[in-house]
Amino acid sequence: MLPRLKRFADVLVGEKREGKALLRRALLRMLADHHRYQRGTPLDRWAFTEIYRLWLAELRDHADPLRQAKASEEDFDRLFPTDRGADFDAFTATFLGQLPPQQRSTLLLVYGEGFDYEDAARVLDSNADTIQARLIRASASLADRLSSGSPARVQASATIETLYPVEATGIRP
Amino acid sequence: MTELSDELLVAYVDGQLVREQTRAVDKVLEHDDVIARRVEALKDAHGRFESAFEAILAGEMIEILAVPMLPPRVKRKRGNGLAKIGIAVVGIGVALAALVGGYGWPLVLRACSVGMTGSVATMQSAPPKAQSAPSAR
Repeated sequence: MLPRLKRFADVLVGEKREGKALLRRALLRMLADHHRYQRGTPLDRWAFTEIYRLWLAELRDHADPLRQAKASEEDFDRLFPTDRGADFDAFTATFLGQLPPQQRSTLLLVYGEGFDYEDAARVLDSNADTIQARLIRASASLADRLSSGSPARVQASATIETLYPVEATGIRP
Repeated sequence: MTELSDELLVAYVDGQLVREQTRAVDKVLEHDDVIARRVEALKDAHGRFESAFEAILAGEMIEILAVPMLPPRVKRKRGNGLAKIGIAVVGIGVALAALVGGYGWPLVLRACSVGMTGSVATMQSAPPKAQSAPSAR
């Protein structure tokens, strides 16, 4: 499970070193607050949720959260193994690196972890409609970019949603 | 040409539609090349996302397995406090021990080695299981 948690933290932050630090803090917090664990809850889902909540809480405390939420494409590229085979999909890697953190995390939970929309929504403190909207946006955008041959430069609106929920802003990524 | 939204088609590709809706889309795909091409493009995007996340996970696995674990020094006694703490806390402890030890924090590792030997021993026997279940799928 640890590699999966690490992947989630890395993809959320968009960078390996900060991802590792986030995961460490989240695990420490879970240990300290283990009494909050509800029996029957899958441990991985609890961990994903705690990682996300901690990331969001820390981001909101940051002096410049919008800037802090953006990861560089170079940093994101380092999430992929250095020993890349011929079939490495640099196009999609670049595309993912340009997405806002929450959209990346949504894609990871649904396409990487196999969560259904409801489970992904629970982890990300959202709802199934928002999850679906993110998936549609990303999938349609990648499909369009593949046909045009140019990696996406994604709009930053979803980054705003990172800090202010859809319910408050009316912005839907 | 039939009008089907990306919303419906993405849900179709993701397998999120109910059976009746899936059958309805299947029928449209049989005779509408434009929709069929769009579905193929979305399936391609879906597959690329999956592959990209698998590649990242493979990198995490390589990184963890590349770091040597400490040999177990003390046998863990049966019936100790772990049962009281619960499965969840044990899991977190193991993950935390691996995170701290496995990602190269030597000072912390030495400081914690006595107390965490049991957890490290657990991690040593864990890699084959972790390799065989890289994702929730």
